[in-house]
Amino acid sequence: MARVAFDERGADHLLLMREEHGNVAPALISKGEDVGDVRLDIPYQLITILETVYSCVPKGKIAVITRRCDEKALAELTKRGYVDEERMIKIGLACSREQIAMCRCSDPVPSKVDFGEPNKPVPTDELSERLSKMSPDARLQFWVKQFRKCNKCFACTHNCPVCFCDDCVLEERTFVPEQGIPPGLSFHMIRSYHLIDKCIECGECERSCPAEIPLLTLRKMLARDMKEIHGFVPGDPKTVSPLNTTLEGEPMEEECDEC
Amino acid sequence: MSVKHVLTTCPYCGTGCNFFLQVADGRLVGVVPCKTDEISLGRLCIKGYNAHAFVQHPDRLQHPMIREGGQLKQVTWEQAMDRIVKEITRIRDKYGPDSVAVLASAKCTNEENYLFQKLARAAIGTNNVDHCARLCHASTVTGLLYSFGSGAMTNTIPEFDNAECILVTGSNTLEAHPMIGARMLRALDKGAKIIVVDPRETPLSRISYLSLHQKSGTDIAWINGMIKVIIDEGLADEEFVKQRTTAFEDLKNAVKDYTPEKVEAKTGIPKEKLVEAARIYARSDKAMLAYAMGITQHSNGTNIVKGMANLAMVTGHLGKESTGVNPLRGQCNVQGACDAGGLPNLYPGYQRVDDPEVKAKFEKAWGKQLSGKPGLTLTSAINEAMAGKLKAMIIFGENILMSDPDLGHVEEAVKELEFLAVVDIFLSETAQKAHVVLPAACYAEKDGTFTSTDRAIRVLRKAVDPPGEARPDWVIACDLGKRLGSSGFDFPSSAEIMDEMASVTPQYGGIDHDRIDKQVLRWPCPTKDHQGTRILHAQKFTKGLGVFAPVHHAPPMEEPSEEYPFILTTGRNLFQYHTGTMTRRSVKLERESPEPYAEINRSDANRLSIADGERIAVSSKRGSITLKARVTDRIIPGSIFIPFHYAEAAANRLTNAALDPISNIPEFKVCAAKVGKA
Repeated sequence: MARVAFDERGADHLLLMREEHGNVAPALISKGEDVGDVRLDIPYQLITILETVYSCVPKGKIAVITRRCDEKALAELTKRGYVDEERMIKIGLACSREQIAMCRCSDPVPSKVDFGEPNKPVPTDELSERLSKMSPDARLQFWVKQFRKCNKCFACTHNCPVCFCDDCVLEERTFVPEQGIPPGLSFHMIRSYHLIDKCIECGECERSCPAEIPLLTLRKMLARDMKEIHGFVPGDPKTVSPLNTTLEGEPMEEECDEC
Repeated sequence: MSVKHVLTTCPYCGTGCNFFLQVADGRLVGVVPCKTDEISLGRLCIKGYNAHAFVQHPDRLQHPMIREGGQLKQVTWEQAMDRIVKEITRIRDKYGPDSVAVLASAKCTNEENYLFQKLARAAIGTNNVDHCARLCHASTVTGLLYSFGSGAMTNTIPEFDNAECILVTGSNTLEAHPMIGARMLRALDKGAKIIVVDPRETPLSRISYLSLHQKSGTDIAWINGMIKVIIDEGLADEEFVKQRTTAFEDLKNAVKDYTPEKVEAKTGIPKEKLVEAARIYARSDKAMLAYAMGITQHSNGTNIVKGMANLAMVTGHLGKESTGVNPLRGQCNVQGACDAGGLPNLYPGYQRVDDPEVKAKFEKAWGKQLSGKPGLTLTSAINEAMAGKLKAMIIFGENILMSDPDLGHVEEAVKELEFLAVVDIFLSETAQKAHVVLPAACYAEKDGTFTSTDRAIRVLRKAVDPPGEARPDWVIACDLGKRLGSSGFDFPSSAEIMDEMASVTPQYGGIDHDRIDKQVLRWPCPTKDHQGTRILHAQKFTKGLGVFAPVHHAPPMEEPSEEYPFILTTGRNLFQYHTGTMTRRSVKLERESPEPYAEINRSDANRLSIADGERIAVSSKRGSITLKARVTDRIIPGSIFIPFHYAEAAANRLTNAALDPISNIPEFKVCAAKVGKA
């Protein structure tokens, strides 16, 4: 890992997972430091971690262990100017079969694979299929039952790599009153629609949800709408979200980075 | 550039979630869940995600202070320590060692609590050492010690996942222990039947299989009622009762009059629901009981806990995977503070101070003559201070002027003290009254261990330096011990303190910092090659046979009257924590729950023409507070609920300091109150 990041790619810093205290920990190390026992079997959402610590690393190139979804998250960040693409070095990690199954991931192989074996995608999300066949009423009932378990921990926003507004609308009282648990449908709907042109389906929201609400399925169903209606798929550094274009379809000059 | 991710343990409830504190150039910038932690599974609650927020708050105490002319003035450590030693020595010499009390802390580490009780016992010469476990699970310790021989959670947190039935009572688990609540949700998703018995509707009760609402203070009635149904319908585990327990005939006699009809009249629980709950609990193979303050904080709390133990024993739901009696402890280290001997009648490891053999053992270990007289409990210490018999207190990290019942009385008692020293991280309501205030390091600024509610010993690792001149409590305790002329207070780090604690605490005999750095061990762990104990009482009870205790319903000390027609019950909510010193300085938590409120049932509010959000006055015989009404169906008619987090409307101005005679726990959960417009 050290050889690839520092010697071959010329990184100054490396964000990775490694073994610490009998656990797997995220770690940001600098060139010359011991990488320790690297662990690729338990991926952390390193792009989210990168966002928190990015401003603390004023100089040099940063290498990050990057899955396919992480590449896309980085694209969303660099497009909006949160991260300087020139400073980023992607160490490609191909996800294991188990991880692909967990994410029902249809696009699991990074553009350059440095570690791991490329595996086949899972083309469909069974739960999405099942829900699509339900009546709108039954579908709503399904989600309402799931959302009743929500305990407002904000893990879904906290751990999300593309949730980067300075002022979170979910902390704004008009739509999400304080205190109320479980929060109303609006909490989940606002979040879903707010991410509709950004979500890269890494599944971190679902994995970190203490109530195990199938949030990734919710994202996938909305992503399908976005694709069908607008022909837009998040995660491509070259495309601009239809929510960020003028009426003439041109990218907005003074683009709001948060939207 | 320096960026670190430091694995440590959450400072809030007793679940013991581990997470990484993100540190950038000495600043705490965030919290990252630990995906491989067997307790949290890479998930946290909102308090966990914000556990970094208060640490570097500008309000942190940074320098020692001494009161001069009514004002707290900054002094050097030398001056502050001199003052404490001078005053404690003066008072001890004049009035005797039992005129001094030390309060240990459920927010401090095991190592620190071990030193606090050693400070009281070996350096000052008194068993007057206690802490806020007196206010939360004192009756669990006394009750379960009687029934089983051990006062701790019998099973472990991960086992909730696989339970088929979980009977939750007096615990608002999703709000007070969110990650244990999450385990219950997992069980629910797998088809488990969750039964909640609570006077309030809780986020868990709303999605439970059965939700029973009893009138506050009637717990023994429904527990005995369920036991009667179980015995009458032949659902008792006869084999278990015969092999593993004693005094079953006493139990049978005790419950014989608790018919479902009578129980309904007493508790308000419809008899069909009671019968159904009893059947589901008894018939499930893997059935867990979980409870918290709703059971313990009563003037007959010990008896209610014994009732819970009876219910588990009669059905044989003990000593096996996903069963047991599971008191959920509410502070990060309240279990450990008890284990480490922060109790006036018990040395570390629940060894009695009035047992001459035990006393001899500790005298040998510490090289000091010790007192064989059990000391004052926290609640009785307040009364003794009021009576002028207790003259000085050293308080580590407790906020008695918010957390104790009948605050008016506590304030009067504290005024009577000749000397009060408070060691804390913020200038709490209690520190504001002190003669000397010492600034302490918080959980993120020191090494040590917490013991979680399921007996797992969890590691704290230092992430950042303490602010200003603040020091870890163990350093302060060592310094005080030495200055008071005692040997045995020389420790280079907290690891050596644990080594000494392990040498005198049988349950911790196999614990050392190297071992627990990489693995989760649960006590009892008597030797270095022992792998710890997940399930207590597996082959036999700690005391041999489990003992059925015949217990009977008794009314609370204060019942509603014409003048005070409501039952007031207190507790906490998801977003705030205890006396609010930490959470109210965390922006995102304070946003969610910024002001005090009283929950009142819609029908009562209508009758009194009180609108939702209107300011009301709630009063008891002891005091009055004004706060917002929250009109709701969450609470049964005739009851009101007030969280105790808010100094501006402190619920404990109203609560009753009536004590359970065995455990000395106060009756926080029931007192009589009236409600009017403010």
